[in-house]
Amino acid sequence: MPTPPRTRARQALGVVAAAALIALPVGAAHADSTSPARLDATASTPSPEADATTFRIATSGFVDTFNPFVSIYLTPTNINRYVYEYLVQNSAEDGSPTKGLADSWEVEDGGTTWVYTLQDDLVWSDDEPITSEDVVYTYEQMMTVPELAVANGNLVSNFESVEAPDDKTVVINLKTPQAPNPGTEVPIVPEHIWSEIEDPATFANDADVVGSGPYLLESYSANQSITLRANPNFWQGAPKIDRIQYVYYTNSDAQVQALRAGEVDFVSGLTPTQLQALEGVDGITTHSGEGRRYHSISINHGTVTRDGQPYGTGSEALKDVNVRQALRLGTDTETLLERVMEGRAEPATSFIPSSFPKWALPADDEVIMSYDPEAAMAKLEEAGWTEGADGIREKDGTPLQLRLLVDADDLTEQSIAEYFVPWMEEIGVRIAVESTDGDTISARSVSGDYDLYFSGWSINPDPDYQLGINLCSTLPTGTDGSGGTTQDGYCNPEFDELYAQQRSELDEDARREIVREMLAMNYTDTAQIATWYAHSLEAYRSDRFDGFTLQPKEGGIIASQAGYWGFLTVEPVEGAQQAEEGGVPTGLIVTGVIVALVIAGAVIFVLVRRRKMADVE
Amino acid sequence: MTSTVPPTEEILLAETGAGAAPRRLSALSYFATKVGGAAVSMVMVILLGFFAFKVLPGDPVATLARERQLSSEQIAQLRLQMGLDKPLWQQFVDYLVNVFTLNFGESYVYKTSVSSLIGQYFWNTILLTGTSAVLAIALGLWLGQKAGWRPGSLFDRITSGMALVLWSVPTFWLALILLMVFGGTLHWFPTGGMTSPDPPADLFARILDVAAHMVLPVLTMVAVVYAQYVMVMRASLMEEKSADYLTTARAKGLRDDLVRRRHAVPNALLPAVTLMFLHIGGLIAGAVTVETVFSWPGLGKLTFEAISGPDLPLLQGTFVVFSAVIIVMNLIADFIYRRLDPRVRRG
Repeated sequence: MPTPPRTRARQALGVVAAAALIALPVGAAHADSTSPARLDATASTPSPEADATTFRIATSGFVDTFNPFVSIYLTPTNINRYVYEYLVQNSAEDGSPTKGLADSWEVEDGGTTWVYTLQDDLVWSDDEPITSEDVVYTYEQMMTVPELAVANGNLVSNFESVEAPDDKTVVINLKTPQAPNPGTEVPIVPEHIWSEIEDPATFANDADVVGSGPYLLESYSANQSITLRANPNFWQGAPKIDRIQYVYYTNSDAQVQALRAGEVDFVSGLTPTQLQALEGVDGITTHSGEGRRYHSISINHGTVTRDGQPYGTGSEALKDVNVRQALRLGTDTETLLERVMEGRAEPATSFIPSSFPKWALPADDEVIMSYDPEAAMAKLEEAGWTEGADGIREKDGTPLQLRLLVDADDLTEQSIAEYFVPWMEEIGVRIAVESTDGDTISARSVSGDYDLYFSGWSINPDPDYQLGINLCSTLPTGTDGSGGTTQDGYCNPEFDELYAQQRSELDEDARREIVREMLAMNYTDTAQIATWYAHSLEAYRSDRFDGFTLQPKEGGIIASQAGYWGFLTVEPVEGAQQAEEGGVPTGLIVTGVIVALVIAGAVIFVLVRRRKMADVE
Repeated sequence: MTSTVPPTEEILLAETGAGAAPRRLSALSYFATKVGGAAVSMVMVILLGFFAFKVLPGDPVATLARERQLSSEQIAQLRLQMGLDKPLWQQFVDYLVNVFTLNFGESYVYKTSVSSLIGQYFWNTILLTGTSAVLAIALGLWLGQKAGWRPGSLFDRITSGMALVLWSVPTFWLALILLMVFGGTLHWFPTGGMTSPDPPADLFARILDVAAHMVLPVLTMVAVVYAQYVMVMRASLMEEKSADYLTTARAKGLRDDLVRRRHAVPNALLPAVTLMFLHIGGLIAGAVTVETVFSWPGLGKLTFEAISGPDLPLLQGTFVVFSAVIIVMNLIADFIYRRLDPRVRRG
């Protein structure tokens, strides 16, 4: 009797299912043997990359494009730091201007003319010479084509013209004298490549890129990986590793697991808890470096437009500088730093982090106020806010109540609020915490619909930009908060005057004095309470790689630098590969056992089924 | 993920509702009603796609400005490029044109057309969710019919209990635990992505590489959703158990096992089939969590990331696609049910 068709179909299905089950663990075993953890060549399919030293970095960063003229996001911007050398680089020591494409520079006409002399024998990665024409081409594109000014237009807004009198000289003529070096932060692109591109504004620039920096972008696979290879033509010499590969992990806990599993060699942006969990893990070194981010509680001290029209819903009370100073005096930032950040931050004085000691306001400056609730209450008393029935201060029958916006996804903000609210209660201020999402906070901060919210910025080595967004001229133009770029809605004509002075002050010491005076002024006016400069928490496979250069050199960070130093000097640890090969590939054994069990199970299943069928038929 | 799939009872109710429809419903008018309903839903989705995301808090340009030091000229240029400087009605018209040309505009983040992005990521999601769906359905139906045949037995209590426990486990949590144990600690499976950063060159090795990356996400998805098939199949079979035709089958002298497999199960399968199709639509939308934890480059991850920004064109595109998939699957479920169950056809 022939097997009924349905049974036959079922048997076929069973075989397919068994095959699928077997394939899965085998796949796992296979992947294990070729996984990045084992930099050996035992893979069944040798690829050209098999012998290359590849340094893998976990990332979750957005990539818009690798086109340096239009890319806005942090990840491609940082990668372009590796691909394109600037005219002037930010030093590893403290971020001050240092040799880039330009060997030296001179300032003429009181700061309106900058003359750069390029290094000898510079070449692009395709062996074409790097000349001053490339520099002129790059700057002129940004100055003349609005679409190409999207990323860095602000850096050339003061440029009158750029000239190349000879192959090695670049002259930048400015509209007004300028002390910050105009040659920094702009990636210089090869003219012989870019002038051939039909529409440079939409060019993705994401494969086989010709560049001048230590690494070149080789390939990009969206949300999967970004591969860079070493540039043998880099003027400081080729890096000691062959490739850098950014591997995508959406979730930061997954990144930590990938580091533990050895699938990546470097993770950054860790939380204190994650860092603690990685401390003491074999082969992993954690690093807590002084970063370039500042955090603050921004205060709505009465948002107004550029022509003085008030907008928003800020509390009347905060328009009084005494009240704002009282909030500062009543905030124990040192305790916050210890309890919330577990000490992994530096105490803040202003919006210029202490990792740029050249500019930061020193902690012993006379304007600095330390935690003093008594003084805070005295200030409030002086401002006319007297103690009410329930301990909350009142003025003309109105209680002193403020709204604090907290990002519900941000544990740090929530923890700060837990300390901040009782502290304020103590000095007689009631805080209503409004927990919401980041986008809402962002929208409300623009429209002035807040009293207090947590804010933070990444700061560049030169303080000019950050000072610049505290000018009256950066206030919004519309009463919906549009048209502005202001940091905290701050406006003080005296501050503006000092800004103009520092911008054209070519003597660095004199400029520093002015900058610090500005920071002190902003501190006293209390447009924000700077809380701390958070450390950047990073971890790497020290059993495989070492030799990172920090920025700043003392106690600084590896990734997210304002420069390319972090991964420039990284090198493989001697003998690391052997150690890896010696390890027992647990996955292989276990998956082997699973495979055997599944095969056995499938065979038994089929046999039993056959016998049963035979019984019936 | 659970919220995207309607509870079983509702589906069963909906189906009885369909059964009580006017008698002598001709095939043509049946199809016309169903297709018409689907078309109306689709139009609603398209309208909603614009306005729902327009009222989302957050300004895409403001978000970008937090990322980088921009002057007000640069911000104005970005607004111009994104079309955000246009009046609302103009943006709405642009959106409609984009939807009906199946183009969806250009993503703010990826700087490429949304349709090409969705085209790239769609099949990755289908691979993941399709595999999970097949495994979950097979496992769920098989366990469900076994359990339903002898309700209250030890096998039934273990199966149902375990399925319900896994059903109530938060997907995110389960995914992270699997990732930690099998990825980070034991190193058995890769911790994320769809391929190794340097995928092997030949095709077979490549397939194995992808398979290895699929194990943990598929395991998570199967564990969390197979319970509903177990429960539907179990309930459905329990109902069939006392039917007269089974007595006949037994009277013919068929062994109990065969009575179950050849007679009871095919009839009990009907409600499960409908559920299956409804579920496949929901599963694709439900991939968001799993794709996010395991860094799977699929539509779910794309949507998750588009929310912060917000990347409006991309959000609108994925929303319309997800909704379309669910609507189409529901439509197929209606047709298949009619095909399988003569009672619906006769009305």
